Amino acid sequence: MLKYLFVLSLLVSSLSFGQNSAFSAGEKLIFTASYNMSGVLTELAQVNMETSEVRTSKATLLRLKCTATTYSKWDSFFKIRDLYESYVSPKSVKPYLYKRDINEGGYSKFVQYKYSHSKGTVTSVIKKKKKGGGTYDQNNTLKISNNTKDIVSTIYYLRTLNLSTYSPGKVITLTVLFDNKPTEIAVTYLSKETISTNIGNKACYKLAISIKNSNVLKGTNDNLLWLSADDNKIPVFAKFKVAVGNGELKIKSATGLKN
Amino acid sequence: MRKLLIILGIIAAVLAIVLSVLPLSNLAYFPAIAALLFGLIAYYISNKNNQPIKTIQLIFLLTIIALSISIYKSIFHTVEIGNTEELQIRELKSEEKAIEDLESLDIDLNEEDLDINEEDLDIETEDLNIDEE
Repeated sequence: MLKYLFVLSLLVSSLSFGQNSAFSAGEKLIFTASYNMSGVLTELAQVNMETSEVRTSKATLLRLKCTATTYSKWDSFFKIRDLYESYVSPKSVKPYLYKRDINEGGYSKFVQYKYSHSKGTVTSVIKKKKKGGGTYDQNNTLKISNNTKDIVSTIYYLRTLNLSTYSPGKVITLTVLFDNKPTEIAVTYLSKETISTNIGNKACYKLAISIKNSNVLKGTNDNLLWLSADDNKIPVFAKFKVAVGNGELKIKSATGLKN
Repeated sequence: MRKLLIILGIIAAVLAIVLSVLPLSNLAYFPAIAALLFGLIAYYISNKNNQPIKTIQLIFLLTIIALSISIYKSIFHTVEIGNTEELQIRELKSEEKAIEDLESLDIDLNEEDLDINEEDLDIETEDLNIDEE
């Protein structure tokens, strides 16, 4: 009987490990985004990923905030000030509210998703600036599946996966809601690799990312993400290939880590 | 041949100067090297035939200027982000608005704790092989 109790307690503890143990409020990751021009990498923008706590009268949520800012030398040519936010459950990284407020070289767009998980729907609002002033609004209610996430919460959700138990070649499929369309993303665990970064040499999990039924990302295994192979699983390096070239995202600094 | 090389040299040198002044200064190395090569070949041909080398000297001068600007920029210019004041205001406003919006949503964190991923339940059977001794 005692043995059964022991097994039961082991099961319960293993379930709790399935939750988020990789990040908490107060984490700040800074990245440098570079674009490859004729073989020369040019630093374009700084990408920040921050987490903070948000309290409402009903619950305490985690605010995942990503910003992209072009370096000052590019501002007069193509100024980018993007803000992506997702308000998620601190434990399961389930999103409740997503906001995307982008401003790229004069083009601006605002997207908001309000999730209703009990009904399985998302209320979406898209606002675009009209040329003559004012905004063009579009309101929709979309059906979603239980695991549908937005782009920000998906990036953070990848960090909660128990990658140490994965064998090379394992594929997981995630559904990401982007521009009101549920898009299936396949993440393949490739191998463990040690790479040199600005925050030291890091043993990493190497993941390949591809979008199903889309040709935005080019090549097979050309869009890669390296997550540090420790408890924090921070994204330290990413490579992407699109139609107009390829680029990189390198970590510059990481503060406020959970472990 | 000499004329063609000089024309190509001047075009490459001017392109190098333009790129070196722009934020794309890293790219100026390619036309600068090309201008140097065209210049050197043209200089060799001119010397051989005893022709004037004034324009070739101009190519070298422009290339050296372009290279010095690019090298100076790559050594002394550190990248820094532009003005983010407007973005920070937007971030704050967005958070305030989000808290208002979240109040009106049905959030039940306790319920979702029971929402366990299938993957987490993937327990290897060998773990359950209990020695019945």
